[in-house]
Amino acid sequence: MNEQRRQILQMLAEGKITADEAERLLTAVETEEPETAPAVRGKRPKFLRLIVDANDEHSGETKVNIRVPLKLLRAGMRLAVFVPPQALERANEELVKQGVPIDLTEIKPNQLEDLVDALDDLTLDVDQTDTKVRIFCE
Amino acid sequence: MIPQLVTARWRRRDGRCRRLFLPVIPIVLLLSPLLVLAVIGGVIACLMYDLPPFRTLAGVGRLFWALPGARIEVEQGRTDLLLSIR
Repeated sequence: MNEQRRQILQMLAEGKITADEAERLLTAVETEEPETAPAVRGKRPKFLRLIVDANDEHSGETKVNIRVPLKLLRAGMRLAVFVPPQALERANEELVKQGVPIDLTEIKPNQLEDLVDALDDLTLDVDQTDTKVRIFCE
Repeated sequence: MIPQLVTARWRRRDGRCRRLFLPVIPIVLLLSPLLVLAVIGGVIACLMYDLPPFRTLAGVGRLFWALPGARIEVEQGRTDLLLSIR
């Protein structure tokens, strides 16, 4: 029996509330419980998984199974903050040359952390005749 | 938790698999004199590139601490490679 129920029954026993009020309060407590339960039970994913299963004529069957802890991604992102601006400018130039006009200096550390947090819900499935790629968090 | 065991597996030319188990803590203890030199070199490099040395070292430490659970497994034709950190 949880604390709230015990308090309600105690108030009823002491005559502070009527039986109808106790029933309403107990119903209210019961309706609250299912909402809070999944949040407690729901585990946050710990790993990012990449599974590739391909069958190519030249290289034959290829299987790749990579598991990266999300903590490692977060730690890497935090370390990326220390990349000197000169290096970022060079990287920007190379990206522009490759046709990817992204300004890396505009990406802030908190945005990167949000990006890793958002990976929790990521599921990517590519299913072709000879290639299957699956990226997800577990 | 710091990494405790690194397992590497690869397939040799004769088709047999080789496994290598590396206990991290004994190896770190064994190489600790070199690690001290590496840390000093890292601090000097940080100062040369205008980076905060302690925050950078803490970042590298966090990266090291986050390694357990990582696993890379690649199998293609005769190539078979596994790297697991526990």
